Amino acid sequence: MTHAILSCNGLDKPEGSVAREVAIRAAAATGSEIICPVLLHRAPARYKKALSENAVIVVDGCSTRCASKLAESLDIKVDRKVLVSDVLKSSGIALEPTLNLGPNGVGLAQAVVDGLLQSLNASSEPAPSAVSSVVFAPPTEHLVVTHDKFEFRIPVADYMFNENDVWVRAVDDVARVGISDYMQQSLTDINFFDAPKTDAVVDQFGELGSLESAKAVFEIIAPASGTVVAVNAEVVANPGLINEDPYGKGWLVEMKLTNWPEDRELLLKPEAYAKTVKHKAEEA
Amino acid sequence: MSDTTFMGVPRDKIPWFPTIDYDKCNYCMECDTFCPHRVFERREGDRKLVVANPNHCVVFCRACSKTCGPDALSFPNKTEILALIKQIRAEESAK
Ligand code: SF4
Ligand code: SF4
Repeated sequence: MTHAILSCNGLDKPEGSVAREVAIRAAAATGSEIICPVLLHRAPARYKKALSENAVIVVDGCSTRCASKLAESLDIKVDRKVLVSDVLKSSGIALEPTLNLGPNGVGLAQAVVDGLLQSLNASSEPAPSAVSSVVFAPPTEHLVVTHDKFEFRIPVADYMFNENDVWVRAVDDVARVGISDYMQQSLTDINFFDAPKTDAVVDQFGELGSLESAKAVFEIIAPASGTVVAVNAEVVANPGLINEDPYGKGWLVEMKLTNWPEDRELLLKPEAYAKTVKHKAEEA
Repeated sequence: MSDTTFMGVPRDKIPWFPTIDYDKCNYCMECDTFCPHRVFERREGDRKLVVANPNHCVVFCRACSKTCGPDALSFPNKTEILALIKQIRAEESAK
């Protein structure tokens, strides 16, 4: 698979200078074409071929995420993303406050590139036989919360929710996790699922990756503690499945639960979550 | 909203809300535009944005910080807050 790299030009922030450096280094390492965001914005046709023939990597410098937003506005399908400010936070590197890259800036750029190359290599290997043998039948009956012209469905059985609109469905010590119909509708069309790594160990209320739509970035807040054993590859390839079927085909990850009896005490049953949804919908 | 609870604990006992670092904030107002819960309020004067309704903030949500380019929003430590919530729940049920 060949790639095209769309990066923020980042002329006004040190993180932006790093993003630009990441694009140059990653393009050299992978033989990819660099997409200039200014030219793309000005004349999208110039990159039509590069964008249709390659998997697109988006590099954003800071959380303003200009490159991501540009891709969204042009309906560009994104294969993967990196956010320099996130890597900066987790790396412990002290980035120089200058727009010219110092040694730390160069080191950070190389660290981002290394991470990116690693993830590209990992996904070219066959995926681990991840999905559990547990059968999760789709829900049959729903509670319906109505607000104005909207209807929000909540399955009556088996699903539990945190107040952050994430559901969990446990069968013994394995669980599936996804987002509720209410959240899926609030986000509108979801166009990117930044999935957690399989084998990631997460605490209850920790982060299980994020979802992006044109409207928002949604941090997926873990409803229970455990280890990620599978990521729904179909949803990574087609995040629209979450909008189509949030409780079924649109599931996000499977976890091996490590503290379920205690964790479930802090979750809502469907009737209680229905009240929360009603409340949220009225407030929003 | 002050009568609301989170997992059975009165919301005003849970110190979960964003803190604005005024040395970094550029008043782009992305966070306020983004958050549907009226946590922030715009003001006249030096500090054009304040956390006016901290208890409206959804416990464990950090979504607005992902819209903040200068990284001016911070939140408490989740593990500590969770421990506090569990402690209050235990005290309540022991009563
Ligand atoms: S998004 Fe960040 S910089 Fe913008 S107003 Fe909010 S705190 Fe300030
Ligand atoms: S954390 Fe969430 S609920 Fe709290 S202020 Fe930010 S967006 Fe609003």
